[in-house]
Amino acid sequence: MVVTTMAEELADHRFFRLIPSALRERLAGCAKNVVFAPDDRICVEGTHASGFFAIRSGRVNVGIYVPHQGLQVLETRHAGDVIGFSWMFPPYRWQIDAVASERVHAIELHADCLLPYLEEHPADGYLLVRMFAQEMEETIQSTRLRLLDVYGRDHVRLP
Amino acid sequence: MSVSRETAYAAPSLQRGSMTPVPHRVTSVEHETRETVTLTLEPVADRVPAPMAGQFTMLWAWGAGEVPISVSALADDGVLVHTIRDVAGVTKTLCASRPGDVLGVRGPYGRGWGVDAARGRDLVLVAGGIGLAPLRPVVHTVLEHRGDFGRVLLVVGARTEQELLFRGELDGWWHSRDIEVRTIVDRASPGWAGSVGVVTNELASTDLDPSSTYAMVCGPEVMMRVVAQHLTDRDVAPTSIEVSLERNMQCAVKTCGHCQVGPYFACTDGPVLTWDVVDPLLTVREL
Repeated sequence: MVVTTMAEELADHRFFRLIPSALRERLAGCAKNVVFAPDDRICVEGTHASGFFAIRSGRVNVGIYVPHQGLQVLETRHAGDVIGFSWMFPPYRWQIDAVASERVHAIELHADCLLPYLEEHPADGYLLVRMFAQEMEETIQSTRLRLLDVYGRDHVRLP
Repeated sequence: MSVSRETAYAAPSLQRGSMTPVPHRVTSVEHETRETVTLTLEPVADRVPAPMAGQFTMLWAWGAGEVPISVSALADDGVLVHTIRDVAGVTKTLCASRPGDVLGVRGPYGRGWGVDAARGRDLVLVAGGIGLAPLRPVVHTVLEHRGDFGRVLLVVGARTEQELLFRGELDGWWHSRDIEVRTIVDRASPGWAGSVGVVTNELASTDLDPSSTYAMVCGPEVMMRVVAQHLTDRDVAPTSIEVSLERNMQCAVKTCGHCQVGPYFACTDGPVLTWDVVDPLLTVREL
């Protein structure tokens, strides 16, 4: 049986692949492996955002619950993606719901452990915030494209 | 004097040139989605040359006009298969066709998909909306000659689950596991088991071997641009990425100039072009 350390598992994940190994070792101390069954709620809107999740396998639906309509899925996150920005900012409450759409293996990183370290080590904090900013930019760009409604009639070139 | 459609189309064959529509009879009409139908056509008498995957014909609806429509399946014996989206105008008339109706066909025209160039390599097919129709013959070819290709990934994007084309076939391809099929929609309806987002989200979660990857992309221009950029960012060579340009075409024989994109004509140089050719042109806003 091959035993891997948490730092090695982080190194295998797209999000953490390019960060310095020293920071990865530090992040590993704040991380643990978690498994979710299909339909498990990973984040619940309005509750305390205690950290973020790096998906190793499986898919997670991110959305917002609408009364009488259930979860309105806004995007699907895959292996290599991270879920959760709310742990970085007051009031540290989830703004979204996240539900496993299939069996999900993920790494959970805890804000209680991360935030004090990042405050004390601004260079590492800056690097991590830049990585999250890139994720946010990709999410925003994906949302922009969908707002364009590219598959709609307005984008058809009529003869 | 009333003139039947068939008589009207059947102009003296001696006068028929490449611009004269050849009468074909609609033999089946399959409703794919609320606004998309697949028509199967058989020649009334003369037939047009067999099309290749990615080529198009000019379909002429009596009294309405003529539009370029890609072939959505390859068939024998002169049979043509076209999938058409009703976006008003001529396409509305075409989509309202019934079995027995006669349509005019010119073509086939254009440069199709480089299926032979993809043999021996991993193939990534990315289709958005009606863009799955021109790529469907490629999937059929791959399935018939599965051993000729490496890993094959098909990513299909649509507005909603209800607007996904060829649902039965998609399910069959997915279950067969001969190729990897991923579907993603802009808006999910209850019970949707696929993903929600844009097609690049699906690509991002997939490992690719850039040196071995050959990609064919068909859909709205914005989508094709984003996908091609995603693939080139991952070191797939621009010469190994094909896109199918959608342009207003009137003549299909490089005469009217409607489909001109810089120095190229989508009707004859395309519609399928490689990304190294298309990339500098699509960033020119006036084009």
